[in-house]
Amino acid sequence: MKRTGYLHDNRYILHDTGPHHPETSDRLLAVYEGIKEEGILEHLTMISASRADLKWIETVHDPVYIRRFEEICLSGHNTFDDPDNCISMDTYESAFLAVGGILDTVDLMMTDKIDNAFCAVRPPGHHAEKDKAMGFCYFNNIAITARYLQEKWGIEKVAIIDIDVHHGNGTQHIFEQDASVFYYSIHEHPSFAYPGTGRDFEVGTLGGHGFTKNSLVLPGQGDDVYYMLIQGDLMPAINKFEPEVILVSTGFDAHRDDEMSDIKVSTQCFSWMMQTIMDLGERHCDGRVISILEGGYSLQRLPELAGNHVKILLDS
Amino acid sequence: MFVSNHMKKTVITVDQDASVFEAQQLMAEKQIRHLPIVDAENRLLAIVTDRDIRSALPYTLLKGSHTDEEKAGLIDLKVKNIMTLDPKSISPMDTIQDALLLIQQHKVGAFPVINEKKELMGILSVRDLLSSFINVLNINEPGTLLCVLVEEKVGQLKKLVDTITEEGISFGSVLVNRHWEEDKRAVFIYLLTNNVVRVKKKITALGFSLLDPMSWYIDNLSQKE
Repeated sequence: MKRTGYLHDNRYILHDTGPHHPETSDRLLAVYEGIKEEGILEHLTMISASRADLKWIETVHDPVYIRRFEEICLSGHNTFDDPDNCISMDTYESAFLAVGGILDTVDLMMTDKIDNAFCAVRPPGHHAEKDKAMGFCYFNNIAITARYLQEKWGIEKVAIIDIDVHHGNGTQHIFEQDASVFYYSIHEHPSFAYPGTGRDFEVGTLGGHGFTKNSLVLPGQGDDVYYMLIQGDLMPAINKFEPEVILVSTGFDAHRDDEMSDIKVSTQCFSWMMQTIMDLGERHCDGRVISILEGGYSLQRLPELAGNHVKILLDS
Repeated sequence: MFVSNHMKKTVITVDQDASVFEAQQLMAEKQIRHLPIVDAENRLLAIVTDRDIRSALPYTLLKGSHTDEEKAGLIDLKVKNIMTLDPKSISPMDTIQDALLLIQQHKVGAFPVINEKKELMGILSVRDLLSSFINVLNINEPGTLLCVLVEEKVGQLKKLVDTITEEGISFGSVLVNRHWEEDKRAVFIYLLTNNVVRVKKKITALGFSLLDPMSWYIDNLSQKE
């Protein structure tokens, strides 16, 4: 059995998106219930969050944007940059705790206290651009994590694997000129789904050309296409890149019962996908894999999906 | 939607006495395919295109496998020998819709834009038209596309617009296809949001059907040329 960290902090619940918003704190409770239900809590290293140091957030985000975010939260506004992005007074703090908790998790892994981890954070991050909030995301958690691994821990090559059903536009744009971070995303075709980016001809620019890879899935498609694309696109790309750490943008919204997309992935296929990523992690980076929660909105399916996900990390 | 808002106002022109090789080099440098020719008063005389040049030069030259003698033999070939005189042009006050129909009709890649005195004001290429339609469709903005099937009767679109507005969602664009199936039209609504779950339910509750995205487009669009 692996030593798996589980970042869970009740203060993530304070980020209140109001009524009728799909990105609710109930999601984290559903995730927790699912992991508890599997009877594996006692085998996990529980991690609670500390507040991130601003300097790490500034490795990705524009200082003016960060200040704007703080001011709008404190002023009592209920949206930021777009009506999709519902906020409360505590959103700014929750976002700092999300980043801080993940960076603490990185420290535990890099000092060999844990092997891998699942970070169940809110708000999510992969749509956040360096100077713009988008798609329920404010700080790009996974992008900041990649920069932290490089700057604090001297990791040279980080792979980001994004299995959320929406393209991680923020993550792609932050690293598209950078050959030291490989970004792979599998998502619903951008002509149909938010945010309308992540076409297969987007492959990185300038020095980062060839270090971005997008696999597209059409509405109605599911397991068969995922098996084909993960084996045909993701595996060769990661084998070629040979990362030192793998970060996963884990969205569960491609599930067939999740109403946020038209993609029909089964619970079994989610498990297979994560197992495949873990096998890649074993092959290239001593199993150093950190999974960070992005989307996934079906409160009925989140418990089983998160439970299975963490069991695979534990290798139990 | 006027041509004047979408055309390129800085036009690269060529002298009619320039050699074809000079024109070819100019196109390569500027990455363009159309060179208008004007007189001393900037009045449009003719146009030369990359296709005119390709047709005028032997295959060996285009491939780069020519001999020096072959090239020397063509050095006197001038733009004026291959240009199209009095080409089809458009006015800055024509609309983008006019330009679309004319490009389809005349099967050209660009139109010189001239005023009533025949002075060259700009050039509008297929590429410029595409950019303007990307803007109109708003597909550079993040959003989600829905397709709703509605009956061919008055007031249907209003219901949809009201429902979406109630949800506080902004519109990116709305396209209507009138020839979807008998007495039905398909409305493609691009919404500037990630959050369409509730609005989809409300639209369905009003009695509209949301089309399976995989049955959209090509097969169902009318084939009228």
